[in-house]
Amino acid sequence: MAHSPRKGSPARWAAVILPPLCLGGLLAWTAGAFSPSAISPAHFMQRFHNAGAPGDGFRRAHAKGMCATGWFDPSPEGQALSRSGIFKGKHLPVMGRFSLAPPLPYLPDNPAVARSLSLQIRSSTGDDWRLALVDVPLQSMRDVADAYAFFGAAKLNPTTQKPDPAAVQAYAAQRPWLKTAFEQAKAHQQTSDLTNDTYNSLDSFILTDSTGKKTAVRWAVVAQEPFSPAEGSGANDKNYLFKRLVQTLNQRPLRWDIVATIAREEDPVNDPSQPWDEADQKVTVGTVTFTKASSEDESPCGSMVFDPTILPDGIGVSGDPLLALRSTVYMRSYATRSAEHKAPSMVTPGDVTNPTLTTDGKGQ
Amino acid sequence: MSFPQNTGHAAPFPRLSILLHWVMAALIIVMLFVGLIMAHDPTIHYAQLFTLHRTVGFLILLLVVIRLINRFASHTPDLPHDLPVIMKLAAHLSHILLYGFMLALPLVGWAMLSAGGYPITLWGGCHIPPLIGFHPHLWGALRCLHSLLAYGLILLILAHIGAALLHGIIRRDGVLGSMLGR
Repeated sequence: MAHSPRKGSPARWAAVILPPLCLGGLLAWTAGAFSPSAISPAHFMQRFHNAGAPGDGFRRAHAKGMCATGWFDPSPEGQALSRSGIFKGKHLPVMGRFSLAPPLPYLPDNPAVARSLSLQIRSSTGDDWRLALVDVPLQSMRDVADAYAFFGAAKLNPTTQKPDPAAVQAYAAQRPWLKTAFEQAKAHQQTSDLTNDTYNSLDSFILTDSTGKKTAVRWAVVAQEPFSPAEGSGANDKNYLFKRLVQTLNQRPLRWDIVATIAREEDPVNDPSQPWDEADQKVTVGTVTFTKASSEDESPCGSMVFDPTILPDGIGVSGDPLLALRSTVYMRSYATRSAEHKAPSMVTPGDVTNPTLTTDGKGQ
Repeated sequence: MSFPQNTGHAAPFPRLSILLHWVMAALIIVMLFVGLIMAHDPTIHYAQLFTLHRTVGFLILLLVVIRLINRFASHTPDLPHDLPVIMKLAAHLSHILLYGFMLALPLVGWAMLSAGGYPITLWGGCHIPPLIGFHPHLWGALRCLHSLLAYGLILLILAHIGAALLHGIIRRDGVLGSMLGR
């Protein structure tokens, strides 16, 4: 036989085994196999669970919600700021989701709880703009480490079914950089309803215009309905906020302006916990009109993911570390909940058909 | 260290096959790393990586189709005659699996993004139409399948590299050389 013997020295066997072993090791390292303590999306999922997210097909945060549909009319000012096809369109379809911020899908409506709004606006040319907004003025975390600690502090005490107040206080006390955020949250005047609330992106985004000029902005989705304070506005009905939204939509369309706050040189673009200058220019880039409400069990908005990093050309992410975090965590939460069997939402199709307020504790 | 190849037993692959193999090898390795980073690292600039992942994914899908056509249209060198039957079987089976996974991963990726209601935009703003409609339940299952297929492909690739090196360094039967153009 012309072949040399079919055996090798240890060095040759090492040359066979080591390259795939190294590549495998490198891939495993990339997947976090050797750093189990590093913060991963799976760790966040665990913290949402500890904070009361039951699974059952519900999203891990902003769990209680209801859908609304309507349209978006962009303004010429919006088109000047961003080259996105969204701002060139007219009367674009909008899918929205109003929600309460906590991870609890069966939380009774009450004046104290933070509220959120998600939007998906699509153009006929395939542009898809998603926004995730909440009605607090500033983000109470500045980076991934803060976020992880924040959701750790939100862990429910098994006996009280509420977060431990000491843990929440410690979270704030240990983070002097969040002082302004907590002060502004405390001073924030909550509105009576979902209909007259203003919802903020908190994170910043980079708009690119037709000449390539970039502008950093924060979004506020500002109600055209007049302000009315939350004090004394509550009702016994566990879904009063959502039912009153349905009642109003049954009477008239509701409009929100999408307002861009334009960053100036000194504004902290990549830190959503810090305020921008009060004197910053504000530009209305368009108006969202909602005409119809539906239970999230009967609308695609219930399952849809409102990852704010899903953006059309002309709107991009800033260097805000929380935007990067959102993508991975939203993806994980969306995949996990989508594979689960979904329990009925608290705001039922019946509540939308008949939004009369009751006082019998319905929905508990 | 260099290992002399006994090239008497296996003719080299055609030039196009060799080019497709190595271009795809590089792209697939990059994709596996990008995918793992996207799934496990919450600190990275996800949006850009995601665009890269979608773009390269479609490129791989295109290349694997070309490669399959090329595979049937061109001559594939025979395996050495003295290769044990079990190793021949393993070689054929692993290649069928490699092709299957290379085809399935981008297709499942495309289907899962469609089912999840994600816009499928490539580098340069090109929109790809959805493969299927909005089915969140299916998205959850396909997202899981996408990961499983990726882990499977990783194992196949590691075995493939190990086998190639076994041919080149231990058996020195010309099989490795046939894909190096020697």
